[in-house]
Amino acid sequence: MIAIKLAYKNLVGAGLRTWLNVSVLSFAFVLMIFYNGMIEGWNRQARNDTQDWEIGEGQYWEQSYDRYDPYTFQDAHKPVSEDIAAMIDRGELTPILVRQANMYPEGRMQSVLLKGVDPNQKILKLPTSDLNNVQNGYSAIIGRRMADDAGLKVGDKVLVRWRDKNGMFDAIDINIAAIFKTDVPSVENGQMYLDINVLQEMIGLPNQATLLVAGDNSSLSEIDGWNFKTTDFLLKEFDALIQSKKAGGMVMSGMLLLIALLAIFDTQVLSIFRRQKEIGTYIALGMTRSQVVGIFTVEGGAHSILAAIVGAAYGIPLFLWLDNIGLSFGSSSQDMGIAVADIIYPYYSIGMILSSLLLVVISATIVSYLPARKISKMRPTDALKGKLQ
Amino acid sequence: MSIIKINNLEKQFPVGDGFFTALSDINIEVKKGEFAGLIGPSGSGKTTLLNIIGSLDTPTKGTAEVMGKSIAELSYKQSAGLRNRHIGFIFQTYNLLPVYTVFENVEFSLLLQKMSAVERKKAVMQALEWVGLTDKVDSKPSMLSGGECQRVAIARAMVKRPEIVLADEPTANLDSENSHHILRTMKKLNKELGVTFVFSTHDEKVMQYLDRIIALEDGKVLRDETQEEFAVRKNSQIYKTK
Ligand SMILES: Nc1ncnc2c1ncn2[C@@H]1O[C@H](COP(=O)(O)OP(=O)(O)OP(=O)(O)O)[C@@H](O)[C@H]1O
Ligand SMILES: [Mg+2]
Repeated sequence: MIAIKLAYKNLVGAGLRTWLNVSVLSFAFVLMIFYNGMIEGWNRQARNDTQDWEIGEGQYWEQSYDRYDPYTFQDAHKPVSEDIAAMIDRGELTPILVRQANMYPEGRMQSVLLKGVDPNQKILKLPTSDLNNVQNGYSAIIGRRMADDAGLKVGDKVLVRWRDKNGMFDAIDINIAAIFKTDVPSVENGQMYLDINVLQEMIGLPNQATLLVAGDNSSLSEIDGWNFKTTDFLLKEFDALIQSKKAGGMVMSGMLLLIALLAIFDTQVLSIFRRQKEIGTYIALGMTRSQVVGIFTVEGGAHSILAAIVGAAYGIPLFLWLDNIGLSFGSSSQDMGIAVADIIYPYYSIGMILSSLLLVVISATIVSYLPARKISKMRPTDALKGKLQ
Repeated sequence: MSIIKINNLEKQFPVGDGFFTALSDINIEVKKGEFAGLIGPSGSGKTTLLNIIGSLDTPTKGTAEVMGKSIAELSYKQSAGLRNRHIGFIFQTYNLLPVYTVFENVEFSLLLQKMSAVERKKAVMQALEWVGLTDKVDSKPSMLSGGECQRVAIARAMVKRPEIVLADEPTANLDSENSHHILRTMKKLNKELGVTFVFSTHDEKVMQYLDRIIALEDGKVLRDETQEEFAVRKNSQIYKTK
């Protein structure tokens, strides 16, 4: 207790130097929490969005289907059994038929993935119902970035060429019925959504599907002849990206923390050198040398407590404010190829804040202890003379 | 009953490849309640001897016993305990803690003793009364004069009611008036509380207050005499030189 009181008095008494150290440390602390909060907020939003738009509660893949291998697409389809059809009717599943094709916007060739979806499905956020109110036969909806890339507008027609079930080429003009806006690039890049019945007819595969997306009310039980893929599996790449972003953030706040720790270390070395007489006096008054080491360690470590208080003083209002307005990453972030909402709302968990705090306190205490150890090797008579080194 | 007992003490400091003998052949006994001083030229070993008595240092040879305990045989913890409870230090440069108020400076050793706050306050106020500084309890050392600082230091040394107070050149930084004030205060505490005082000094003003004067020269005891013997010898020297 005496050490804490003394530490506080000495720190505050040291004035500017203390506050400089404390501000750098608090900045590291706030940045650490902020960055982690941003990533976590992004993580949560992006996971939700990707689930809502693309993967639902999981997917059943036709056995040969592999979304990472376009060569599997040609043969990845199988009839929808009566059991499955019943589940589709109950809204537990929605079928998607996938077909590789080429399109020719303004005469340029561009590969495109045709996806047949049920216009009446409610599982995915895709505005598939836009496929319902079309008059002239072959219509599709596409995402906004896809539309921009291909230079397509609503009402445009684009020539699409594909192979039917026998491998024969066929081509037709497809009408762009609607353009939708989404934060999930993987649901629109190079993709075109058609009514599944239309696509089945185009390929000659009536009642067949490549994959089935599970909805909220699905039991997620095994279905014979289909491979169930969990959301974790389907978000694997995304999780890896989040992990790497987190590591990047750690490096950044770690550097800042390191600077702050160096400053504290330096302050400690200097203050132990300058305050030898004080150290000698403590010993003359009856402290053991290890108690004096304790005083100096607590004093250095207390930088982190002040940093937490100062950090909280400007961090909490800042975080609350950010939580209200969210943070915009602008449209450039859309090139990342991964779901990024226009506005990200950071997410702060108690665990994350506490572990950041703990990290800062422990590391500040360690760098304070290291130079303070020297005191235990000092001879009190030399310390009192203040003439060491 | 002797409270300090020094037998054939020798103190060497390593210097370069060899040793420097700062004290040798020291035999001194100090009784409880004495008001004694070590005098001698600079470098004669006064501070070194006081440090050993205060258990801040240990003898190279011989023994130094303080309150019946041999300094060389105390553990770190025991010697810290001895200083905390039984020995008060007063330094030439006061050595007050700059961030603490007068009250807190005086209170410090009591905090190490885990005394209750009420008792501490009583003891601190009593000690400040002895030195006449009850009106400065909340001042910081930087706001005090040198004389006042040294009085705070005396209060800090006295607050724990020690058996021994060791004062290393306590008046060296003070003017004559303050020096006399401080010495009168210490003399009074010595009489009233029976605390043993051991000084080191070059200061003539201090010498006239001492009951016993031990002169060191080159690390050896040159003379060990009472105030009366000292005064007589001084007078005769003055007489002779005239
Ligand atoms: N740690 C040390 N290492 C080497 N020599 C030392 C050490 N401490 C003291 N000495 C030497 O021992 C001798 C006695 O020193 P001490 O400080 O006891 O003298 P002093 O009588 O107190 O002098 P002053 O009146 O100047 O304070 C001096 O010559 C000093 O140089
Ligand atoms: Mg000296």
